Amino acid sequence: MVLQDLGRRINAAVSDLTRSPNLDEKAFDGMVKEICSALIEADVNVKLVAGLRKSIRNTVSFKDLAPGVNKKRLIQKTVFDELVKLVDPHAEPFKPKKGKSNVIMFVGLQGAGKTTTCTKLARWYAARGFKACLVCADTFRAGAFDQLKQNATKAKIPYFGSLTQTDPVAVAREGVEKFKKERFEIIIVDTSGRHRQEQDLFDEMVQIQQAVRPDQTIMVMDGSIGQAAEQQSRAFKEAADFGAIIITKTDGAAAGGGAISAVAATHTPIVFIGTGEHMLDLERFAPQPFVSKLLGMGDMAGLVEH
Amino acid sequence: IGGLFRNVVGGKKLTREDLNKSLKGMEEHLLKKNVAREAAVRLCDSVEQDLIGMKTGSFTSVEATIRGAMERALRQILTPTSPLDLLREIQAVQGKRPYVISIVGVNGVGKSTNLSKICYFLLQNKYRVLIAAGDTFRSGAVEQLRVHTRNLRELTARQNAGEVDLYERGYGKDAATIARDAVTYAAQQGFDVVLIDTAGRRHNDQRLMSSLEKFAKMAQPDKILMVGEALVGSDAVQQARNFDAAFGAGRRLDGFIVSKCDTVGDMVGTLVSMVHATGIPVLFLGTGQHYSDLRTLRVESVVELLMRT
Ligand SMILES: Nc1nc2c(ncn2[C@@H]2O[C@H](COP(=O)(O)OP(=O)(O)OP(=O)(O)O)[C@@H](O)[C@H]2O)c(=O)[nH]1
Ligand SMILES: Nc1nc2c(ncn2[C@@H]2O[C@H](COP(=O)(O)OP(=O)(O)OP(=O)(O)O)[C@@H](O)[C@H]2O)c(=O)[nH]1
Ligand SMILES: [Mg+2]
Ligand SMILES: [Mg+2]
Repeated sequence: MVLQDLGRRINAAVSDLTRSPNLDEKAFDGMVKEICSALIEADVNVKLVAGLRKSIRNTVSFKDLAPGVNKKRLIQKTVFDELVKLVDPHAEPFKPKKGKSNVIMFVGLQGAGKTTTCTKLARWYAARGFKACLVCADTFRAGAFDQLKQNATKAKIPYFGSLTQTDPVAVAREGVEKFKKERFEIIIVDTSGRHRQEQDLFDEMVQIQQAVRPDQTIMVMDGSIGQAAEQQSRAFKEAADFGAIIITKTDGAAAGGGAISAVAATHTPIVFIGTGEHMLDLERFAPQPFVSKLLGMGDMAGLVEH
Repeated sequence: IGGLFRNVVGGKKLTREDLNKSLKGMEEHLLKKNVAREAAVRLCDSVEQDLIGMKTGSFTSVEATIRGAMERALRQILTPTSPLDLLREIQAVQGKRPYVISIVGVNGVGKSTNLSKICYFLLQNKYRVLIAAGDTFRSGAVEQLRVHTRNLRELTARQNAGEVDLYERGYGKDAATIARDAVTYAAQQGFDVVLIDTAGRRHNDQRLMSSLEKFAKMAQPDKILMVGEALVGSDAVQQARNFDAAFGAGRRLDGFIVSKCDTVGDMVGTLVSMVHATGIPVLFLGTGQHYSDLRTLRVESVVELLMRT
C-alpha cells in the first residue's frame, strides 16, 4: 500500500535516533541520510529530497542547539512538518453544491485511471444524494466510449458520448449542455490521456476546458509514477490549472512518492485515492491524518495541532 | 555530475576516496533519470570495482573516467546476451503451427495498444495474425481490440499487407481457456501468429498473479512479453521480478516492451531498472499512441539519453 513502508522506515529512523543514549551529530546525520534514502526509494523527486535534507539540517542545526532544548522533540517535529509540507498544499479543494450544476473535468497522462475513476466519483456523489452523470470526451482511444458506457451502466449513472463524432470539444460541449438543461448537479467530463511532449494534445485539453468551463479540473495520477511526475504535473498545471489530484492504483505496491511530488510541485491537494479496479474502490484523502497514520504517530500525535 | 575532481588530470591511481564523491554525484544523476535506487547503487558499485587501483589516462579527469566506465556498465547491462529475432522465429514454424505471443503487465501500461502495434508490424511482414481478446475483465477491453482490428484491417487492405482477425468470447470467461481455444482455432484456420491480450493485474495481487501459471500452461506461448511503462518509478523492479516469477518453474518472461517512452524525455531509467531486476532483455520500445510507434531497442541511444546532463 502506498507510503506504508516509507512511513515505517522514516518512523524507525527517527525513533532509533531519539531513543539512542548518545544523540550526537553523527547519529543525526545518519538519520537524515536514512530518511532521504527511504524517500528516494519511494520515488519522491530527487530535488525535493535534497531540499528536505537541507531544511531538516537547518531547522535542527545540531551544532548550535542550546543544551536546554529538547532535541528529540525538535527532530520529531521537524521531520513531521517537512513531510506534511510535501503532501499538504494548504489549498482548499472545490466543494460541489447541491441544486446547481457542478462541472468536473478529468485530465491526466495515458492509462492513469481517468475513465475508471470518473465513474467511481460519479457514483460517490450519487450515493450522497447528488444527481450525477458522465460525459465521454475521449474520441481518440479505441473503445473509450464503450468502456465508460459499460462502467456507467453498471453503476446506473446516466452518460453521454458519441461513436461517430471525432471532435472531443464538440462532444464535451454537447454533453455538458444537455445535462445542464436536465439539471444534473455533478457532470463529470472524461478526456483522453495526454502528455506534455505533444502540444496538440495539450491544446485540445485547453479547448475542451474552454468549451465546458469546469468548476473543477482534476488531474488523475498513477500512484506508481516515478521521476517524470514533477515535469508532467507542472505542465498540466500550467495548461489546465487543475485544482485537485486523485492518486490511483494505491492498492499496488508502489510507495507513491512520485505522485506526492506532484502535490508539492503544483501546490494542489489530493482529494481522493483509488484503491482498486472496482466501482467502490475510492477513498477520501486528507493530508494531515494521512501523514500521522503514515508515521504511526503514537508519541508524535501531540504535534499535530500546531 | 559532481565536478569535484575535474582538475585531477592524468596518470593518477584511483582510490576509493577519489571515487566516492564523484560516484555519489553519478548515483544522483541516475536517480534523476528515473533509475531505481537499487539499480543505480549496483551500477555505481560495479564502476567502483572497475576503477579502484586503475590509473586515469593522461589528460583524463576522474570525472571523465567515471563517465566512461558508467557508459560501459550501462551498455553491458542493456545489451541482450542472446538477441531475439522475432520474425525469424515465426518463419521457423510458419506453415506448421501458429506462433503464439502473449502480452502481460500491470494496469494501464499499454498492453493492448502495443499488442496492436506488434500486430501492425507483423502485418507489414505479410503474416496472418489472430488477436485473442484475453482481457475478459476490464470494461471496454474487447471493444478496444475490435476497433484496433478494424483499423488494422483497413490499413493493411490499403497497403496490401497481411491479414488480421479477432478471436473474442466476451466478458467474464476464463482467460486461459479463451487463449487455448484461440490457439486451436488459429491452427485450424492457418494463422501464422496469435497475439494474446491479457487483463492488467497488480504484481502484488496473489490471486491474479497465480492465474498466470495456468494461463501459460494452457496457451503454451512461444513468447511471453511484459509491458512496463517508462513513467513508472522504483516499482519497475518489483513489477519485473514478480511477473518473471509468475509462470511457474521453468518458465520465465522472454522480453520487455517499455511503453510511453515518448512521455519521459531523457528519464528512461525504467529500462535499466527492469533489466537490472531480471536480466530479461528489452525487445521493443513504445514511443507513441499510433501503430507505427514501436521501436526495437538501440542501446547506444538509450545510453546517450541516460548520460546526457
Ligand atoms: N489496481 C487498480 N487499478 C486501477 C485503479 N484505477 C484504475 N485502474 C486500472 O487501470 C487501467 C487504466 O485505467 P483507465 O481508467 O482506462 O485509465 P485512463 O486514464 O482512462 O486511460 P486513457 O484514457 O487511455 O488515458 C485499467 O485497467 C483500470 O482497471 C486502481 O485504483 N487500482
Ligand atoms: N504516449 C504513449 N501512450 C501510450 C503508449 N502505449 C500506450 N499508450 C496509451 O496508454 C493508454 C493505455 O493503453 P492500453 O493499451 O489500453 O493499456 P493496457 O495495459 O492494455 O490497459 P489495461 O488493459 O486497462 O490494463 C492508452 O491511452 C494508450 O494510447 C506509448 O508508447 N506512448
Ligand atoms: Mg480513459
Ligand atoms: Mg488492455
